[in-house]
Amino acid sequence: MPNVGAELASVPFGKMIYDMASAIARSQIALDKASISLVKVLAKTTFDYVPDVVETLTPNPRQVKNANGTPMVDGDGNPVMITGVLVTTDVGKSFPLTLLQAGVNPTFYQFTNSTIEVKMAITSTQESQNTLDVGVSVTASADFLFASGSVTSHVNFTSSNKYSYSVTGSSSMSTTLVPVPPPKNMMPRFFLVNAMDPKAISISQS
Amino acid sequence: MAMQMYIVAFNGEFTQEKSRDVQHRVKDRGGFILMVAKTGVIVAMDDSQVPAVEQHPAVSLVGGVTLNPRGYAADRLQRIFAENLSKQLEIKTE
Repeated sequence: MPNVGAELASVPFGKMIYDMASAIARSQIALDKASISLVKVLAKTTFDYVPDVVETLTPNPRQVKNANGTPMVDGDGNPVMITGVLVTTDVGKSFPLTLLQAGVNPTFYQFTNSTIEVKMAITSTQESQNTLDVGVSVTASADFLFASGSVTSHVNFTSSNKYSYSVTGSSSMSTTLVPVPPPKNMMPRFFLVNAMDPKAISISQS
Repeated sequence: MAMQMYIVAFNGEFTQEKSRDVQHRVKDRGGFILMVAKTGVIVAMDDSQVPAVEQHPAVSLVGGVTLNPRGYAADRLQRIFAENLSKQLEIKTE
């Protein structure tokens, strides 16, 4: 008879868990290394950052001109003026800023919810068939002086047994990879020294 | 699969041809170019297309990135990304 307990005990759960954990650990290291390489790329990638653009509007009164280009005056001889505007633009000096400083962070990944699923189907069938055939024949003859008789019998016994046993199994492993914020120890610290007012210099860390 | 933001870093020295070629690869794979820099391009593309872009000979690394809203120029980068993305999007009207 099949021993289901023995079959289940033969499944190498310990090895499967170890192999999966080991693979996850190796993958995690590879992912972390890739993310750290990314930090370097982002720290090297610079672009010219323009901190500010100042647009100043100032009045620019102008006298309206006639079709022939001469200054227009009204009936009293006063010039016809319009309130114009003059826009001056002052673009602040650009400076190189890295993508990391600007706010582009590498994505770090973490494995969560790892699952090992083992499915096993044990099928056992037993079929037995027995046939018994018993036959008796009696013959008798009688004569004047003799009498004879014979008895014959036969027994046919057939026995057949069919026995089948099969075990099928399948296993699946799944794990979830989620993006997580960069670990603090892997990211550079940013200090902002605000020296706009030399008398009140402040330092903040982000 | 999901669209994510990646930086595609170039191999070796920057050249216009190399940059253009990598950008074409990203575009061919359904991605969008968000920003171009000398060391690489920031793109938005589907996760499944990363291996195809990684295999380009001019690419050294493809890695996922996120925009930290507290970054020094995050808002400006976001505007640049959005502006560049809008130029590449095709809106179909029927």
